[in-house]
Amino acid sequence: MKFPFAQGALALTALLTLASCGGGKETFPITVTVYNVLYDGLVLSTNGQDVAVPKPADTSKPVTVTFPNQIEYGQSYRVLPKGLVYDEKAGTITGTASYPQHQTCDVSTSYPYNLPASGTAGQLAAIQIYYVCTINSYPLTGKVTGLKGTGLTLANGSGVTPVAVTPAVDANNVVTGADVALTMNPVAFNTTYGVTVLTQPAGQTCTVSGGANGNGTGTMDETTEKVDPTTQKNGVNNLLVECK
Amino acid sequence: MKSSILRAGVALACALGLAACGGGDGDLLLQGTIYGGVTKDGLILVNNGGDDLAIPANATAFQFSKAISTDDEFDITVKQYPSNVKTCTITNGKARANYYTIAQVSIVCEIKTHPLVVKIQGLTTSGLTLVNGTDSKEVPAGATTQAMNPVYEDGAYGIAILKQPSGQTCSVANGTATMGSTDENNNNVVVTCA
Repeated sequence: MKFPFAQGALALTALLTLASCGGGKETFPITVTVYNVLYDGLVLSTNGQDVAVPKPADTSKPVTVTFPNQIEYGQSYRVLPKGLVYDEKAGTITGTASYPQHQTCDVSTSYPYNLPASGTAGQLAAIQIYYVCTINSYPLTGKVTGLKGTGLTLANGSGVTPVAVTPAVDANNVVTGADVALTMNPVAFNTTYGVTVLTQPAGQTCTVSGGANGNGTGTMDETTEKVDPTTQKNGVNNLLVECK
Repeated sequence: MKSSILRAGVALACALGLAACGGGDGDLLLQGTIYGGVTKDGLILVNNGGDDLAIPANATAFQFSKAISTDDEFDITVKQYPSNVKTCTITNGKARANYYTIAQVSIVCEIKTHPLVVKIQGLTTSGLTLVNGTDSKEVPAGATTQAMNPVYEDGAYGIAILKQPSGQTCSVANGTATMGSTDENNNNVVVTCA
């Protein structure tokens, strides 16, 4: 009596197992978690599908999105911001990405979130990808005129290391007083800057002008971003430090 | 015969083991990574209260000179901080020594900050906005002081006027310098409005 029952159960189990193997391929959802989304505009794309990543109500929290269709076992995927194209031969990514406004996003590089954005479904139990967005920074540049003494350092507040500027010299190492290019640390979108003379050069006094507000200060926002004619990039390039 | 040789061997092993423990003359060099915050000389690390190791400014790694043996307990602590450091956090600084644990130590120090409160004179209207780099503060009408965000000791600051108040013009004197080591009277910035 006992035996036939056990046999029946075995047969049933075998049948169920077979059914689960043969009955349609296993599918995998692709989930992406994005940190530091401060503006709308990010669209992620893979396998012909797009998913928008909106700015969260609380921007200190990450946003998690899942692509509308799951992919099948063995199918490859590569999650990229929409507009970017991966060239398999060259191994390069080109194109203009649909990032959040004023931001750039990339695959997380910090442990344990540094999971690959591409692969084959089934390699990992679940497809989970992490992206991190950072606010764009723009160059803050200009020139120093009439500089002959050494020791000039310029500060932009307390967050960044002051920049030292040395006078221009000719082939014989003689100070010429010619214009010197000035490159301050880049400034993040929508933050302020205020360039001041931290230490004056020996025997000279320098004053700062330029920037969006004309006195070495400004806010790196849409209206004051100026296109740099050489690099075609936004940023401020009209700082003027005059030394006399 | 055999057992007596064995016993001698065990005794020898014990003796060696004890020597290794007490003498600290093993072959493992205790080391680690410094992830920042050491901008000045003065940091002294100790292992089990001794073997003083002075860390120079801007060092990114350290190594104790005295070698230790496998299974020796090490415990790295700070004997002295650089003058501008508030505290240092040591990770994996206490363990039993082996090839893995002796190289897992990391240190990061936190530099002291001090309030930056600037004097305001003659301001009767609103709209004045002061910046210290990315730190922006709108100064209310009639204010005689304005606190900016705290500044790192030995770090630079540079106060500039982002926006003038309505109907008045302000100028900054002594707007930029390096932060000292005190919380009060640590700057000479004066914003005068007329």
